[in-house]
Amino acid sequence: MKPEHVDLIQWDTVKNQIDSDFGAGVTKRILGTLTPVSLPRGKGISFYLIPPNWLQILDRDFKSFTPLSLGLWLGDLVEGKFKLSLPALERVQEYTSNRLIVSRHGAESFTYGRSILKESVIKIEPSLLRGQRVLILNESSECLGLAALSVDAYKIGRLAKDRLVAKNLVDIGWYIRRLS
Amino acid sequence: MERGHWRLNLIANGSDRILIGKEQRKRAKELAKQYGFLPYMIERYIALWGEQEAIQFLEACEQPIKKSIRLNTLRATAEETLSRLKAKGVRLEKVPWLDTGYIADFSRISPGSLLEHMRGFYYVQGVPSMTVAEALSPQPDSLVVDMAAAPGGKTTHMAQMMNNSGVIVSIEQDRLRTASLESNIHRCGVTNSIVLRGDSRNLDQLGIAPDYILLDAPCSGEGLIALDPPRKRSKSMADIRFCATKQDVLLDAAITALAPGGTLVYSTCSIAPEENEFVIDNLLKRRPETRIAPINTEFGIPAYPNPYGVELHESLTLARRFLPHKHNLEGFFICRIEKEESS
Repeated sequence: MKPEHVDLIQWDTVKNQIDSDFGAGVTKRILGTLTPVSLPRGKGISFYLIPPNWLQILDRDFKSFTPLSLGLWLGDLVEGKFKLSLPALERVQEYTSNRLIVSRHGAESFTYGRSILKESVIKIEPSLLRGQRVLILNESSECLGLAALSVDAYKIGRLAKDRLVAKNLVDIGWYIRRLS
Repeated sequence: MERGHWRLNLIANGSDRILIGKEQRKRAKELAKQYGFLPYMIERYIALWGEQEAIQFLEACEQPIKKSIRLNTLRATAEETLSRLKAKGVRLEKVPWLDTGYIADFSRISPGSLLEHMRGFYYVQGVPSMTVAEALSPQPDSLVVDMAAAPGGKTTHMAQMMNNSGVIVSIEQDRLRTASLESNIHRCGVTNSIVLRGDSRNLDQLGIAPDYILLDAPCSGEGLIALDPPRKRSKSMADIRFCATKQDVLLDAAITALAPGGTLVYSTCSIAPEENEFVIDNLLKRRPETRIAPINTEFGIPAYPNPYGVELHESLTLARRFLPHKHNLEGFFICRIEKEESS
């Protein structure tokens, strides 16, 4: 197991998924000058972004060592579905309007792995539709994670306060929960 | 006692007994009972420090160690993190010799539960551990190896010192601990690290010549008794000897790989001279291309050039120690070693 140049078909899947979730051209923007590489991991493949001058690493024989990660973790492709990593979400934040701003209480619940209820919603772009990926931000615009909208954004105003608005996909509390 | 014959006196003949008098041995037994330690440990403390200081150490091991954090400037400015933590009621006191190290009183808050922690604005880390990376001071754009990297405190600290430039090869052998290493690397916004699982004793297989190596060596943990009271009775002299042997091998692997003119910092969270001064003294004899270099930061006390009365290399006074009874911190040993330019 060693890092490799990305398989172009797999990379197309990754790129199309990021762009369709967050807007055309977002993948290119978050890459900037970095180069994507892949690393097999469990049942899937992890993608990392590295500076071009690290590419020589790909020719290296790691012998008894197993590479586990390198550079910036972009996310994992498992069974054809790509899941953005937490470090990559912050890069996406600069280039997308798929944002849901939540109250302090909602932010706290979200970082404990909970989903977003109507009562926590402070602001959302009204054109977003059910199923779309949205970054969850607190009132200071800090990215807390990623969620999938469970209702069209323009319909949120009609919901009761305890109704589900966005399902938690990943949140920064994972860093802590993972270790406990 | 002739330099280098410590193994004969301390370990050979199957006795593992330090040469102290009968009365002192009796006293050691009493103290061991009183403080809940194994008697061999107290005998060593008395031989190393004398009875009075040994008791100070035992008392210090009963006291809690204050929590400390390192501000992670890869994720937020020090000013921002300080202001946010203060607003949440966290009392902070700067550690004089560390740019980003603070003693932190979180009161009833769990340090890991704050948003600032999840966002990687700070890392909960012992002061001696922070000091280790400071003693190495890797320069930006250099190639660094962290030979026993989990859970990632020192890798993330060095990445911050290098402003995410260069490369840090972070090696960890334990499969479970690599999860915490990776998690902390991602949380802290580190992007200049390559994480490898494997045995650092095989470092030469990688065919790299690092400018800097950090070896926070696996050890018996005898400096962490205040944090881990069961350690009072959990390790034998054989465990210390086992660790010392592994430390020798790891150091050899490090020196072999290190670039000529490169710098290594060796540290342990043990107060045992058998894992520290004796290990370094042996290295200096085995590897003449190495020398102990001064650490450009003032902290702790000088390491011991003649522990248990055994004369070791005089330059060992350039290495530093933290001791629970002198510094209210975990016991630690930190030594900066340079490899000759021409080697």
